[in-house]
Amino acid sequence: MAHDRVCTGIRGLDEVLHGGLVPGQTYLIRGGPGTGKTTLGLHFLAAGAANQEKTLFITLGETSEQICRHGHSLGVQMDDISFLDLSPTPEFFTTSQTYDIFSPAEVEREPTTQRIVEQIETLQPDRLFLDAITQFRYLTSDPFQFRKQVLSFLRFLKERKITVLLTSESSEDAPDNDLQFICDGVIHLHFAPKHRTLHVSKFRGSNFEKGYHSLRMTDSGILVFPRLRPELHKRNFHPEPISSGIPTLDALLHGGLERGTVTIISGPSGVGKTTIGLQFMKEAAGRGERSVIYTFEEEIEIILRRCESVNIPARKMVERGSLSLMKIEPLQFTPDEFAQIVRHEVEERNVQIVMLDSISGYRLSLEGENLVSHIHALCKYLANTGVTVLLINETEAIAGEFRATEVGITYLADNFVFLRYWERRIQGELEIRKAIGVLKKRLSDFEKTLREIEITRYGIKVGEPMQGLQGILSETPFLRDEL
Amino acid sequence: MSNAPHILAVDRNQRNLELLTRFLGAAGFELITIHCLNEFDRTLLTAPSIHAALIDISGFDRTIWSYCEPLRDRQIPFLILSPRTSPIIQQESLAQGAHGMLIKPLVVKELIGLLNCLMGEQP
Repeated sequence: MAHDRVCTGIRGLDEVLHGGLVPGQTYLIRGGPGTGKTTLGLHFLAAGAANQEKTLFITLGETSEQICRHGHSLGVQMDDISFLDLSPTPEFFTTSQTYDIFSPAEVEREPTTQRIVEQIETLQPDRLFLDAITQFRYLTSDPFQFRKQVLSFLRFLKERKITVLLTSESSEDAPDNDLQFICDGVIHLHFAPKHRTLHVSKFRGSNFEKGYHSLRMTDSGILVFPRLRPELHKRNFHPEPISSGIPTLDALLHGGLERGTVTIISGPSGVGKTTIGLQFMKEAAGRGERSVIYTFEEEIEIILRRCESVNIPARKMVERGSLSLMKIEPLQFTPDEFAQIVRHEVEERNVQIVMLDSISGYRLSLEGENLVSHIHALCKYLANTGVTVLLINETEAIAGEFRATEVGITYLADNFVFLRYWERRIQGELEIRKAIGVLKKRLSDFEKTLREIEITRYGIKVGEPMQGLQGILSETPFLRDEL
Repeated sequence: MSNAPHILAVDRNQRNLELLTRFLGAAGFELITIHCLNEFDRTLLTAPSIHAALIDISGFDRTIWSYCEPLRDRQIPFLILSPRTSPIIQQESLAQGAHGMLIKPLVVKELIGLLNCLMGEQP
């Protein structure tokens, strides 16, 4: 947190605001019903109270009791937040407190502003949250008077160096463009049918993270997941090749896969893509490095059992902390939330290899649009921090014409490793075999031939370069001599 | 008894009467309020001299017009308050001897100015 910033109480939002709010400024929180405006205000005030700052919540809608109940249900410490409750009392309804002889502007404005001024003068708060400033419209006779009133009110607050959040209940009939011009910053909260987002459109005196950021309402309040900006994350590392632990596979790759590179491991179902990735992780564990697999389709237990059957001690690796597997359920996270999970692994737990299993699973499981740009940003981030990325890509066709990937992300890859089934005729009998090859490697040369690969209970066996294999890119490969 | 000019206010809405008392009281008037028409005759008889009257017709039926006659007889200038613009109400108001019809909501400053004018004072 920058010293000259005021924390919002929401870590992700502070990140979006490049450290927090600029003190003494006024911010407008916009959003429809249920978008979390009041909750955001509670976080803001609670963070101030925790910092021994004086805080004031002025409510013109919900009662202070309702707000306190809401705060307690979120686990927010409400005791040190002062309230000025200007919401209508039940008597307004039950004892016929309605009137029509004068306009509310004539009747209510003066006592309301007087109570606000008195409370502020008495308490001298450092932080103020007013819910909602748009109620003031009913206390003025026309838009000009409203603008003048608000400007005057904000000047009153600014002179007292109070950091202020104002909520806005705008509608088509009563837009709040005037307030957006007046305030120093504007934060928008959105609640689309599928997911919530937040974006900042104005922030005087500071830069901020542009675009829409995921927002989640949880039992403990708001979480904001800033959009991943890979260029902001750099880490010094040596792009040395990391070994698979299988000399023949390393020979195919001319040493292994370099740190900070993205490798697509592509092939049809059951050919051994995930197992190849796990082999690199097994070797990394031997070096004391940590790896993570995000599985979008297969259950963790199935992966662990399969590893046991091919002599990869994944379960032990998990127990020792050198491997972590996380199952991502469909529509469980947005891409921003998922990126935050990955960031935590990289920045807090020093992970060295990350595998996404699989690319199509990522695209199907995560909510949102432009998933290619999100996976691009994630891979760039990991590469910038020296993490080796393995993307598992399943091609639909078991055999037939070769296709690198079917999801249009080949450009992301520094390395492209592919596995294929091929046919072998032994004593007149056809046998399905597997082969591994490299199509692309950005940081070094690589073998242009294929090698046979076998996945046995003793582990992965990669053979010598295969001679006479034909039809690799056009059809199901076969050995020329055995036709 | 104070020297403040007395204003008779007739209104079905108690809160309206409170607000009239508050705002006109602050401007130096003394309000005599009538919430229910049963009180009208008695109030007119017992009240000190009334300098002007405000009659809010909202919530009353046509019988409200019959209460204008005693005011007219006593030469008490009065204004009719209406919730909406209506030529019919306006015509009826003037026919009953009202000095004018005001549409709610009223502007406090304008009302005070009008009352001062009614009582022969300039605002």
